[in-house]
Amino acid sequence: MKDLSAKLKLLASRSPHWVEFRYHRRHVQTLQVQKGLVKQLKSSVTSGVGIRVLVNGAWGFSATSDLSDSSLEKSLKRAIECGTSLSQVKQSKVKTLPPVRLAKGEFVLSGYESLSEMSLEEKLEAVRRAEAQTRDKSPAIETASGYYNEIFEDKIVITSDGADALSRLVRNEFRLSAFAGKAGEKASATQTVGRTGSWECLFEDHSIDSLSEEAARLAVDLVGAPRVQGGLATLILSPAMVGLLSHEAIGHTVEADFVLSGSVAAGKLGQTVASPLVTLVDGGRVDGAPHGGGDLLVDDEGVPTQSTEIIKEGVLKSYLHNRESAAAFDVEPTGNARAWLYNDEPLIRMRNTYIRPGAQSIEEIIASTEDGYLVDGPRGGQADSTGEFMFGAQNVSRIKNGKVTELLRGATISGQAFKVLSTVDAVSQEFKLDLGAGYCGKGQPAKVDAGGPYIRCKALVGGVQE
Amino acid sequence: MSKYLKAEEQQLENTALELQSHALKAGAEAVEVCGTFLHKTKITLEKQDFHLASTDDNYVFGIRTLVEGKQGFSSCNTVDPKELKEIAARSVQIAAVSPQNPFISIEAGPNLSSDTKLNLFDKELFQVSLQTQKEWARLLKDAATRDKRFRLNEGSIDIVAGATLVSNSKGTLMRATENAAYWSLMGMGVDGNQITSFDYFQEMARNPIQVQEKLLLSTRDFCSQLLEGLKTGPTKSYKGLVAFSPRAVAQILLSGLAYHFNGRNVVEGSTRWSAGDLGQCVLHPAISVQDLPWLSDRTGAALFDREGIPTRNTTLLNKGVLSEFLLDSYATKALGQAHSNGHAAGGPSSLPGVGAFCLCMEGGIEPRSALMVRAAAQQKEYLLIHRFSGNVDPVTGDFSGVAKAADWCIDGKPAYVGKETLISGNIFEALKDGLFGLSKERVVINASEECPTLIADGISVTGSQR
Repeated sequence: MKDLSAKLKLLASRSPHWVEFRYHRRHVQTLQVQKGLVKQLKSSVTSGVGIRVLVNGAWGFSATSDLSDSSLEKSLKRAIECGTSLSQVKQSKVKTLPPVRLAKGEFVLSGYESLSEMSLEEKLEAVRRAEAQTRDKSPAIETASGYYNEIFEDKIVITSDGADALSRLVRNEFRLSAFAGKAGEKASATQTVGRTGSWECLFEDHSIDSLSEEAARLAVDLVGAPRVQGGLATLILSPAMVGLLSHEAIGHTVEADFVLSGSVAAGKLGQTVASPLVTLVDGGRVDGAPHGGGDLLVDDEGVPTQSTEIIKEGVLKSYLHNRESAAAFDVEPTGNARAWLYNDEPLIRMRNTYIRPGAQSIEEIIASTEDGYLVDGPRGGQADSTGEFMFGAQNVSRIKNGKVTELLRGATISGQAFKVLSTVDAVSQEFKLDLGAGYCGKGQPAKVDAGGPYIRCKALVGGVQE
Repeated sequence: MSKYLKAEEQQLENTALELQSHALKAGAEAVEVCGTFLHKTKITLEKQDFHLASTDDNYVFGIRTLVEGKQGFSSCNTVDPKELKEIAARSVQIAAVSPQNPFISIEAGPNLSSDTKLNLFDKELFQVSLQTQKEWARLLKDAATRDKRFRLNEGSIDIVAGATLVSNSKGTLMRATENAAYWSLMGMGVDGNQITSFDYFQEMARNPIQVQEKLLLSTRDFCSQLLEGLKTGPTKSYKGLVAFSPRAVAQILLSGLAYHFNGRNVVEGSTRWSAGDLGQCVLHPAISVQDLPWLSDRTGAALFDREGIPTRNTTLLNKGVLSEFLLDSYATKALGQAHSNGHAAGGPSSLPGVGAFCLCMEGGIEPRSALMVRAAAQQKEYLLIHRFSGNVDPVTGDFSGVAKAADWCIDGKPAYVGKETLISGNIFEALKDGLFGLSKERVVINASEECPTLIADGISVTGSQR
């Protein structure tokens, strides 16, 4: 790594234009067991250098997996040709990138060494045992699936204006699904965990046994469960669902590239957009919640990551930036530029996105809810330019007169992001990041995490009409 | 071997032989290598302007090995001899720690050419310059932004040329070259305070003449349809008829069915139908679905599958009768079938799975306009959904989500676009007893699936007037 870093620094110093070299080696190992058989056991290595240049206010990019001097020089030349060509037609030239404190040195997150030393056999055995015990929980379980994935990442970011960072981290995730059936009806349930760190930290909040127990119980209980009535309802969202709300409904609308395209958050800085109980943050690390699935010390432009308060006590305070958008808004970059592979361009992406905890206990919030639903089990989501969001919930429980009553089938929750956040009237003191197994899609995937406390709000439930 | 990517095809073949040789020496009893070379030039648009020009060449190899009936897999993106040796050794090491699975095999392929004259390579397109590509990107941008209400968030034009090879130690050797131009847009309509949902489209062409013919037409169609979303109005809640546009049919109904056609899912017991249902009427007799891999204007077109088996047209449902499942060699063995029908899917960096190339649903006998009017006779007002932002639970068939840019139809004609409207239902109910009708006309969606408009009863709509 150090030899390559020296080589890239030399090339950067000779470049006639601003240049960014990003070496990225990704080693992924995946294990999947279904119905007692190993479905996947694989190892995949992808490595190379992405070269981005800024030529007369236009971006050029080229990538190569060949790390020889001649290939790197050729690739730099191609990137410059691309940038030069584009600069002839680009109308709105990229401003000079803002001066910023760029990262220098080594940035290492814990877990990489211990997880790479743990044998594949040991990991496989754990997944096999988890899948088998899930199948054995009930005669109604027809099949189960266990999945484990780990991504080892080594990066070097060198820019001609001074970034010189080596970083190393590992992200892992575990999923356990149970498929149940009774009298022709079927249902499935999945439990997931995801972290940046060691095997031990992956399971520190949820043991494999507890994940297995919960996946099996939910799958069996969901078979034949009634459907939710559609309409506007009072909802208590679990930390995982709050994470999805924070990420999908708010996070995407405040990514500065979307803001510049006219997202619903455009022009709203300084305005009240949520209940004063809501403070929403996106950070490279989270105080009190170590090993977040989106932990990051340095972004892919060599900018040290910040903890960015997007909404503070209901008021919109900041967007999320890369260096280009920071220049356009005349603010400091927030360290949100991320690329999935060496041959991807860095885009504005979230890291760990969450709502800060409040003062009430979840028991108090449920007890003070007359009629509503407790919503848990995130099943993907999407946001829109209008601020309209949608996310799926695996399981919804009815709350009647301050008590959780029956379990209902999963449903879709929707609403206008800022309107829904304005209805928040209770925020719990319990807090966790709970979406670490998730990926965000925006042309490229990105590993992110999200979470928060339990919150009570009003939103639309996509259920049945009688 | 193609005249135009000769060196790259030779490199694929040499590397495949090298990987096979290393793996056999390391103790593998059978080896399969899948390799690809890809050359891509891309011009990206963002915020009404050019954004980035980029270029990328890469090789990817995946090596699957069998050791005493146990499977290993590893992949890399290099042709470096030292790394290739390591990758082959890793695949064998993984096989050594894998448990035995009686259904895993590497078969002697027929080495037949397909029963098709499908040609996916065009020399004129291969010779297109960056300057011409830039001109096409300008046409795309100008067509999209001609109406100032259209906000271009992101778009691109990619020219991709590549070669694919599948070979194994049992004598299979299949190779193909392919090139195409792809263009896509993501944007929204903005008029004062009115903002439409984000929408996206992708189109492709196999030669420069097709690019000229399709680029402007497809872009204008997309933008004008998106801008229709600025005329919004209220929707009511009801349970009854809903019309699904061809795109919504593909997104909700066909994608849900695809899970149940997948032979591996049948093996695992998570599908609605089992091998015993072949030849049985499982859906409404108006429903017929085929997988068609030889349509050159579709992104999924292919001459052979991930295991080197020649592709063929496959009828999955014929007038509601289950005809075949999608099979790879694993599902073929596990289901006790004689031959794979060539549906091993995936790229070189993943193990073969099962997938469709291009699913197409047959149309009905009634023109679309007549179908819409017939539906209005039963129900004066109903929803016509164009795009779905939600979840389909493939196991239960339940779907629930936001109806994006959905037309509220009165007397069989779209009156305005409904906002904040959710739908929920079940695909099996919609395609069996709930089916009201299918249009004669069919539409190709994003250069892939082809579907008619479909109307189904029993769908719950949660409207904006609650």
